[in-house]
Amino acid sequence: MSATWLLARRNLLRSRARLAVSIGGVALALTLVLALDAIFEGVGRQLTAYVDRSGADVWVAQSGVRNLHMVASWMPAATTDAVADVDGVALAEPILYTTDSMSAGDERGWAYVIGLTPDASMGGPWDVVEGTDRPGPGEAVIDRRFAQRAGVGLGDRVPMLGREFRVAGLTEGTASLVNSVAFVPFDDFAARRGGEPAISYVLVRASAGTSPDALAERIGTSVDGVAVQTTAAFGLAERKLVLDMSGDVISIMNVIGFVVGLAVVALTVYIATLALRREYGSLKAFGAPDGYLYRVVLAQAGMSVVAGFVAAVAITAALSAIVPRTGVNLDLAIAGASLVKVAAVAAVIAALAALLPIHQIARLDPVIVAREGVST
Amino acid sequence: MNALTLDVRNVTKRYGDGETAVTAVRDVSLAIQPSEIVLIMGPSGSGKTTLLSMMGALLHPTAGTIRLDGTALSDLSERQLPPIRLRQFGFIFQDFNLLSALSILENVALVAELAGSKRKAAREKATAILTELGLGARLDFLPEKLSGGEKQRVAIARALINDPALILADEPTANLDSKIGHEIMRLLRRIAKEQGRSVVIVSHDQRIRDIADRVLWLEDGRFKDVITMTTDPVCGMTVERDRAVSVERDGEAFYFCSKGCREEFLGRLRSEDMGGCRSAVLQRAGSVFAHLASGARDGHASD
Repeated sequence: MSATWLLARRNLLRSRARLAVSIGGVALALTLVLALDAIFEGVGRQLTAYVDRSGADVWVAQSGVRNLHMVASWMPAATTDAVADVDGVALAEPILYTTDSMSAGDERGWAYVIGLTPDASMGGPWDVVEGTDRPGPGEAVIDRRFAQRAGVGLGDRVPMLGREFRVAGLTEGTASLVNSVAFVPFDDFAARRGGEPAISYVLVRASAGTSPDALAERIGTSVDGVAVQTTAAFGLAERKLVLDMSGDVISIMNVIGFVVGLAVVALTVYIATLALRREYGSLKAFGAPDGYLYRVVLAQAGMSVVAGFVAAVAITAALSAIVPRTGVNLDLAIAGASLVKVAAVAAVIAALAALLPIHQIARLDPVIVAREGVST
Repeated sequence: MNALTLDVRNVTKRYGDGETAVTAVRDVSLAIQPSEIVLIMGPSGSGKTTLLSMMGALLHPTAGTIRLDGTALSDLSERQLPPIRLRQFGFIFQDFNLLSALSILENVALVAELAGSKRKAAREKATAILTELGLGARLDFLPEKLSGGEKQRVAIARALINDPALILADEPTANLDSKIGHEIMRLLRRIAKEQGRSVVIVSHDQRIRDIADRVLWLEDGRFKDVITMTTDPVCGMTVERDRAVSVERDGEAFYFCSKGCREEFLGRLRSEDMGGCRSAVLQRAGSVFAHLASGARDGHASD
């Protein structure tokens, strides 16, 4: 360990209460940022879980439609055949989609309602824990968490699309903070829409050796009136919409976290430096270069912030494990990008927090040791 | 370690400007030779610490030059001074100024590391010096666990770690009791004589004069031409002989800080007269007198 790290570490450990306040403050501030990011990342993943787990390589929607949330896509049923005829398409299947309210008992929530054809191999539930994965006429497969909260089970009836469906299956992983996904028969869904020969989306599987990007481009040029995206791009558009809607909230909370963290670290490092002012003066008198003293202060701030960062990650990880078990439809997902961002914020906090003490040391006159009297 | 000579020429230090300006040191000259122990004494506020700070390159003089083996320290910028302070000077302060978070070994080794020593070598050297100073069993102690004398020995070890040619000590015995103070002074003398280092000590402590090669008296920022100090036989205070209240008995002069002490002294003589022990009182009083220093304008006069 270098002389810089040795002195910085010992100075930090000298006052454990001050160290705890410093690390705790940073951890709290960074947790604010990290947890919020994790919540939005988790919500984003929940919202795009259906898209991500659809089994499709390419999504075809009505022209201008780039996602599921808060939109309606309506295309002629013949679009499915037109897409299927495109070179490189192994399979093309239609789904119907709308957002509707679903209620049972005192429980009421929003649901992405998906109309599935009887032989659909894409777009259906992917983790059925009870009952069937393909609803028959008059049947629905709904999210288990919603069913639990509503107190319904297999055989019970839930209203959707203006009629009642009998619960024939329960799925996992189809609920988010804001909605769940429910699956009903394509024909029942179409009937509720007046029997029009229309579809919402076409899910496409690429043939072997065909890349989704190339296929999406080919479908886009071959079929009129459609918007074509790979599943990855479609999910990204969905996630971006959610983040755009909550971007201001995230920014505000990030700024609050940054300011709180900066204030806590700056104050504790400043107080620590002030308390050791005479010792820094001694080191100057003995010939320690200013650069060495600056590095000690920076290292102290850095160590506080790194410890705070590690604690924040641990707290957020603990939250992400605990929160889903409380029954709330909320998953916290710590993304790599978020860790990088918060680490960068932490580094900036450490650097800024050290500025004031460094300025204080720069102005410190080494002759202080000969003029003031405090026994050590 | 090089045998360096510190040459202080016509140095003045003034704080502030205009009517509020205070001149702490006025046109002082002084040369320190290798292995020499110089004691600078004087009343509080006489400029001793300011002079020592300038000699140690902690302060720039307002006028005059300070040369260390020919290098004009007073002309160097603040940025150029730390390496000189680190390698050429060893500082010892009244308040020890040890780093509270580090063990005594780390306190000493750190200064060697700052001077460029490798960690292992620095620790080995620090261990050797501390052991020599009788602190070998306390290397891992924090300063707060040590007595005042031990702390000052750590400060001396730290001052020695980079083999400086000059040791500058500001009131090194002020926070120590009499016995430990003597011990520290003997240690400094041994360091000077055995290791060939120059030692400059600023102090109020008259006991230090015993180890000094030269004693200077600084007052109002100047070395006084001739000054004779003595001790009030009643209260023990150091007094300037020329300014003191005095009385003569049996051909010998006695000096007092005040008329009160003189009256008390005379009162004791009268009562001892009645008891027939007058000569014993005078003998006792004489034994505590200390004719201290005669200083010279250029700081070269000796005790």
